[in-house]
Amino acid sequence: MAGSNEVNINESKMVVPLNTWVLISNFKLAYNLLRRPDGTFNRHLAEFLDRKVPANANPVDGVFTFDVIIDRGTGLLSRVYQPADAEEGQPSIVELEKPVTDDIVPVIIFFHGGSFAHSSANSAIYDILCRRLVGICKVVVVSVNYRRAPENRYPCAYDDGWAALKWVNSRPWLQSERDSKVHIYLAGDSSGGNIVHNVALRAVESGIEVLGNILLNPMFGGQNRTESEKRFDGKYFVTVQDRDWYWRAFLPEGEDRDHPACNPFGPNGKCLEGMKFPKSLVVVAGLDLIQDWQLAYVEGLKKAGQEVKLLYLERATIGFYLLPNNNHFYTVMDEISNFVRS
Amino acid sequence: MGPYDSSIFVGSSSGSSSSSFTGKPPDQIDGLLAGAGYKVRSSELRQVAQCLERLETVMVNAPTEISQLVNDAVHYNPSDLASWVDSLLSELNQPAPVTVPGGSSDYSNLSFVDSLEGLTINQTAITDDWTEHHGAQQQQDVSQQLTVVTAMEEDSGIRLVHVLLTCAESVQRGEFSLAGSLIEEMQGLLTRVNTGCGIGKVAGCFIDALSRRLYTPQGVGSIGSSYDNEILYHHFYEACPNLKFAHFTANQAILEAFDGHDCVHVIDFNLMHGLQWPALIQALALRPGGPPMLRLTGIGLPSPDGRDSLREIGLRLAELASSVNVRFAFRGVAASRLEDVKPWMLQVSPKEVVAINSIMQLHRLLGSDPTRESTIETFLRWIRNLNPKIMTVIEQEANHNQPEFIDRFTEALYYYSTMFDSLEACSTLQEKALAEIYIQREICNVVCCEGLARVERHEPLAKWRARLGGAGFQPLHLGSNAFKQASMLLTLFSAEGYCVEEKEGCLTLGWHSRPLIAASAWQAVAEPSIPIGQRLLVAVNFQTSFKPTPLAFRF
Repeated sequence: MAGSNEVNINESKMVVPLNTWVLISNFKLAYNLLRRPDGTFNRHLAEFLDRKVPANANPVDGVFTFDVIIDRGTGLLSRVYQPADAEEGQPSIVELEKPVTDDIVPVIIFFHGGSFAHSSANSAIYDILCRRLVGICKVVVVSVNYRRAPENRYPCAYDDGWAALKWVNSRPWLQSERDSKVHIYLAGDSSGGNIVHNVALRAVESGIEVLGNILLNPMFGGQNRTESEKRFDGKYFVTVQDRDWYWRAFLPEGEDRDHPACNPFGPNGKCLEGMKFPKSLVVVAGLDLIQDWQLAYVEGLKKAGQEVKLLYLERATIGFYLLPNNNHFYTVMDEISNFVRS
Repeated sequence: MGPYDSSIFVGSSSGSSSSSFTGKPPDQIDGLLAGAGYKVRSSELRQVAQCLERLETVMVNAPTEISQLVNDAVHYNPSDLASWVDSLLSELNQPAPVTVPGGSSDYSNLSFVDSLEGLTINQTAITDDWTEHHGAQQQQDVSQQLTVVTAMEEDSGIRLVHVLLTCAESVQRGEFSLAGSLIEEMQGLLTRVNTGCGIGKVAGCFIDALSRRLYTPQGVGSIGSSYDNEILYHHFYEACPNLKFAHFTANQAILEAFDGHDCVHVIDFNLMHGLQWPALIQALALRPGGPPMLRLTGIGLPSPDGRDSLREIGLRLAELASSVNVRFAFRGVAASRLEDVKPWMLQVSPKEVVAINSIMQLHRLLGSDPTRESTIETFLRWIRNLNPKIMTVIEQEANHNQPEFIDRFTEALYYYSTMFDSLEACSTLQEKALAEIYIQREICNVVCCEGLARVERHEPLAKWRARLGGAGFQPLHLGSNAFKQASMLLTLFSAEGYCVEEKEGCLTLGWHSRPLIAASAWQAVAEPSIPIGQRLLVAVNFQTSFKPTPLAFRF
């Protein structure tokens, strides 16, 4: 049960900078307007309110972007982020699909967050996050504009992730020079983190090699109410009630939160023992109310003998990585940088 | 940019003192929020935060009714977070909290985190003149934007693009024999590519346009008669939602602007077949309180064969108006060029409220004669002096008027690739074919023509904002109701892949995330003749005190 509202507002203000507080509170408020009690979603208002940015094939701060249609049938778009050559400056000839020229270039397939219902690959907050990823970690990023709930439930988002993985894997111009293979990592925040896990599962079963999974505040859950959910309910921008709403919107109708998509190591989960599952980097924010589920995920991977590194950030809230105005942001960027190079 | 670069960091918004900020000019925008798509002045952050808190408290206490109420409200310009939050508070009849220096309200005593163990603030400060009249900033942004959506797959397609761009460069440098041989090479490449769709089809158009530019430049200006053009326009209208979106969005805004007025006058800069107006006439007929007296002045080309085609269209519209009991009068103004139209021809009466409707017309005025004052400025000045209640401006969202040929060419190549791609979704083959010819003519004009003959001088929304702002207009924001109805229109009339986006009070229609058309609405600023420096200052003050009134325009 949420504590008194004033107490909650005060608590969240103590732990984030003012502009971060304004940004995340704005989202919280807007998202409240969009979720209807009957489970439907005000998609028109959502698209109206979402701040979007177009791609830009001219480099800005050393990164250029362009959109690709991966699947016309489903309208699946992705945005590609690439570092511009240092010598090129302002290119007079734009060769979008120019082969990457380095020995090894990590390609991160990125799944934006939004609890399966919100945001797009061209949302401003995610466009700029991907640009920062390229600039700081020196990678290529392909951000997938997967279909969202409630209009498109499980497994649409995973299907789209899988389609994007196959597409990236088959681009000659994304291959690293050393071995003429695409060096693929999967990354995502919130629902995107959940998609990472599930797309990796499919990759393992189909023989496409994923070199690593990066899960930022991944969205997991279950039927039980965990300690962290009770303790943090409503305190740091998120409530148990809204989490429940998003699961009802994403999972097949009639399913509960022990469905394996929500609870991968729960009663209906899959056993990963013996699988050649990619190594994982899991970032957990210490003030995120679903942290117990995220920590359980880490434990589940360990028990199955899989390689996993947990980065637990004590004073971080959800969305800490949206603005680069805190140490956690840079810690995570460093970790990702190392993760895709080791 | 290093993470701890304190030289970027300007002053500190200290916790308890809410009145003074060290070293920051008052209208500085928070750079990090700007990157997230929100324009909030640093000095306003605290106030916005308090409004958000107030809103949350209200919504927590009475969730269902409140959500419903706010859901039904019309929202405007979400980038202006302060205004948006204020308008929600008004919607809920909650006064915005007043920030008292020294802080007597509860909230101002609470200190926000500026620096804590484990956290360092790194606020990137950008000094941005937070009006929409700041030409220089927009200019820089605009010249760097190159939007591409691609489905290019084959290597020969990529090679074709590469050679096209090389050829365009050689044309720019005057190396005509090189250009000629490249054209031959490309014609060879075309045989290895599918020219029925995708990059092959677009490349074919551009190769053709480059050939014309090289070999028959004098013949280009007279491609097709105006009669042909009207037919092609009609098929373009049917083949894709672009013009329907333009008409629909403009009509919505005009309808709202005419609310409460009994004598209204629409001036259409390009009547064509008057396709836009039946819908407006019908909407006016149905408006609560009854329709106004509607005058329509339609501008168009003189008919080559002596027919008064403008009058014929006027008659048809008059019949329609009569059938729905709307008092209606029509006047046709024939002009070869839009700049030949003079205010006296429009016979605007002081009693009536004027709406100016410009669908893909203003860009035609951007070709300039260096010996005279800019055509567009003169034109905009007399429009503003008509004091229109609203001017709807719909333009191609493209940068086809850059000084360097190669830049225009590159932009056009990618813009029209997207355009052709979107036409692939058109179901009727004949319509698609004719629509493509319509587009090809546009391409030809962009690529082959120069000087006054080049009329397709498309400029992006950011440039139009600066231009219109500087000419004494201020934006009338298009809201969530217009957005929703445009989105629904798209679902009804077209294929998947189109999207409507909101951009600071304007709406764009795009194909797979690439904006193709931008729709905006404007009205004249009250004081017309202020020197430019002061005009900007007035605009700044006006902007800060201007609050959108969403309740007034519920439709």
